[in-house]
Amino acid sequence: MAAKLWNWRLWSGFGLSIGALVAYGFLVNETRAVFWPALFLFVIAAVLLVSGLKRRSREPELYRGKIAGPVLTTLSVLIFGLFGFVVYQVLRVFPDAKNAPQIGQRAPEFSLVDANGKNFTLAQLLSTPITNSGGAARATKGVLVLFYRGYW
Amino acid sequence: MACTSELRGIQRNLASLEAAGVRAVAISADTNDESRELYRKANLTFPLLSDRKAEVIRSYDLLVPHGGEDNRDISGIAEFLLDSTGTVRWRHFGETKAERFVDEAKKL
Repeated sequence: MAAKLWNWRLWSGFGLSIGALVAYGFLVNETRAVFWPALFLFVIAAVLLVSGLKRRSREPELYRGKIAGPVLTTLSVLIFGLFGFVVYQVLRVFPDAKNAPQIGQRAPEFSLVDANGKNFTLAQLLSTPITNSGGAARATKGVLVLFYRGYW
Repeated sequence: MACTSELRGIQRNLASLEAAGVRAVAISADTNDESRELYRKANLTFPLLSDRKAEVIRSYDLLVPHGGEDNRDISGIAEFLLDSTGTVRWRHFGETKAERFVDEAKKL
């Protein structure tokens, strides 16, 4: 009887699906564009898994007794389901922000009132020197604009 | 409560930001009353701007429809570092550590 073979397709397909989920989780805050690459990795993972399973059923002698195939495939499907859930949560909590100003682009002007009724415009924030507690003023080099979900 | 850790992070690093010549503002769809409550609770000294109709939030494409309490439209979390011409030099979506934008501010 031939030595049992290590079905690399199954294992790499499984590894790839974990990799795709982890990469998506780490990169989604940095770039919104990571969904499609992650989905692409899942597709490759699925192809590997299916071909691994096919090979297994074609040559059962070689892979006999190995439980890894169905187990890895089931786990991969679960991981893919988790990916779907994470994407859903991300879309619910974060905006797509496709048209958010990009690096190198001019940020949209705004004119808003703060809680004390004072009006602020971006142009004025950029041009007014920063005064420290000692009263010394320095030229403004930039503005950090934070958007937050709000109180509640 | 959402996101006050991020606002507190800015407050803690306000001196470093200003030393780098960078001023901070925060924008949300909160009412002015809610912002006042936040000022008081978190001891914030930088402006919290109220974008009640979410017009600015929309113009930055950050609107999360029905994302807030009572199904109201709110802003997603995002940070933009602008240089003196108003050009985006760095941006980030979601919460981040204050050290990140202090480092970026120093590069301006």
